[in-house]
Amino acid sequence: MGISMVQAILLGLFACLASLPGMGGTTVGNYTLGRPLVGGLIVGLILGDIQTGIIVGAAIQLVYIALVTPGGTVSADVRAVTYIGIPLAILAIRAQGLDPSSEAASGLAASLGAAVGTLGTVLFYGTATLNLVWQGIGWKAMDGGNWATIKKTIPMVDFVLPWISHIAFSFIPTVVICLAGESMVGLMKDYLPMDGVAMKTLFTVGSLLPAVGIAILCKQVVQKPLDWVTFAFGFILAAVMGCNLICSAVIAVFFALINFKIEQLKLMRPAAAAAGDADFDDEEEEDI
Amino acid sequence: MADLKKVSQGARNSAFLRWIYGNLTCFSQEHMQTFGYLAAMLPVVDELYDTDAEKVQALSTYRTFFNTEPQIGTMVVGLTVGLEEARANGEPLDDDTINGIRAGLMGPLAGLGDSIIVGTFIPILLIALGLSTGGSVLGPLFYVIAWNVAMYFGMKFAFDQGYELGGSAVEALVGPQSAALRDSIVLVGTMVIGAVAATWINITTALSFQFSADSGLVLQDTLDSIFPKFLNIFFVWLCWYLMTKRKMSPTVVMGLLVIVALVGVLLGFFDPGLSY
Repeated sequence: MGISMVQAILLGLFACLASLPGMGGTTVGNYTLGRPLVGGLIVGLILGDIQTGIIVGAAIQLVYIALVTPGGTVSADVRAVTYIGIPLAILAIRAQGLDPSSEAASGLAASLGAAVGTLGTVLFYGTATLNLVWQGIGWKAMDGGNWATIKKTIPMVDFVLPWISHIAFSFIPTVVICLAGESMVGLMKDYLPMDGVAMKTLFTVGSLLPAVGIAILCKQVVQKPLDWVTFAFGFILAAVMGCNLICSAVIAVFFALINFKIEQLKLMRPAAAAAGDADFDDEEEEDI
Repeated sequence: MADLKKVSQGARNSAFLRWIYGNLTCFSQEHMQTFGYLAAMLPVVDELYDTDAEKVQALSTYRTFFNTEPQIGTMVVGLTVGLEEARANGEPLDDDTINGIRAGLMGPLAGLGDSIIVGTFIPILLIALGLSTGGSVLGPLFYVIAWNVAMYFGMKFAFDQGYELGGSAVEALVGPQSAALRDSIVLVGTMVIGAVAATWINITTALSFQFSADSGLVLQDTLDSIFPKFLNIFFVWLCWYLMTKRKMSPTVVMGLLVIVALVGVLLGFFDPGLSY
């Protein structure tokens, strides 16, 4: 079973909404529709196999768990991962006859998602570059100094014209690749046996890739070597003491509360000294 | 003082909605969120000033480059709506002052925003991943609802705080108190990430040695007896090391892992043990 034209068009539309400078906006588009986990549900609905969609989405989500939009910089974007990677992974899992809930299926999904993810970066730069043309129109209106024109042009530039960028760099690539997907995964099955080096490597890569996602998170939170002890504490909670994630999170919040109190106590001392003349509305003021 | 200008609720809502939707829609590497900002400020400027020349001049203030974590950045938009209102009422705020405040907030709010996003988004996402075991729709639905509700109200709060309190609100956010808060949020993040590394990664080795008929060594068992799931933590550390100390991009690290996997498979270290 392949992907029909209608299904490919729907996937293409969601790719437009979900990408990083996406037409669904940051919160709803990129952070919701663009997440592979949510995308798994949507792709599953479109392709008529919700369960496989979500399993594949969850597996790919793990690799891209850290894909937040950092304030200063822009990292890879998820349109290709979610709306090209997940459909291809579903096709591949079906073609290989794998059980969708198996480790092997997750590994295959993660590898395919990451392979397609590099494409996402290209599409991202394409979209952002074409947007410069629309911004040029905006600047021209601003320079012209005619308020009626500005009032019409700016919303046009911000909300409407970028659709053209997305038709070029999100919609068309998604539709084309998804339609070609069936023959691609068919070829893969014919030429790459499961016990050959290529497929073994592919599945191994799938099991290694989540480490990259976690490491990106570590990059954001680990500031000094001792932070690795905190990380190891959480690791041990789950690996050795058998806590699930929710329990681990509660224990972590408990320690964070203690930490917050200690930090506040540290702050209070110089603040109390300075509060003598400043009108700092500190309740502890009468203590000095 | 009865004739003080005030931005109507409608214009404020319009600015808010335009920003939370359009902050990145017309993104380019060169101007990033600038056009989202212009589009958001437009209804406010349109309402506050009478003549077209004043409107054009006021909006031109926001031509300056803007980029921060867009969701927490909602606070800056709220703040400038308040500042613009003050300026329309004759307060001596020039373009440089407003843009100085904007530029001064972009960096700290980006840093704060990133840790708040990591602190809210990652736990919501992780719980959703846990709920989606076996392909359950509960996981994605939980994420969709929890994330969007949290972000909508969070952004609304940030916008209103920015508008009403002006600069002092943001100072509270980036002041010493916030360092303690950020520190604690990051502590939770670090621990939960550790737990995720143990739960959601599954790296095992297939290597074993047979010394004689009844004595052998299964490497995975030995590793587990030293530190359970050692390979998980090792590979996370390795990727982290390559990205921070060796300044490699995630894509390059992924490429390296392909080589590691290939070599590992050839040596018999990795073997997923699958067949059709």
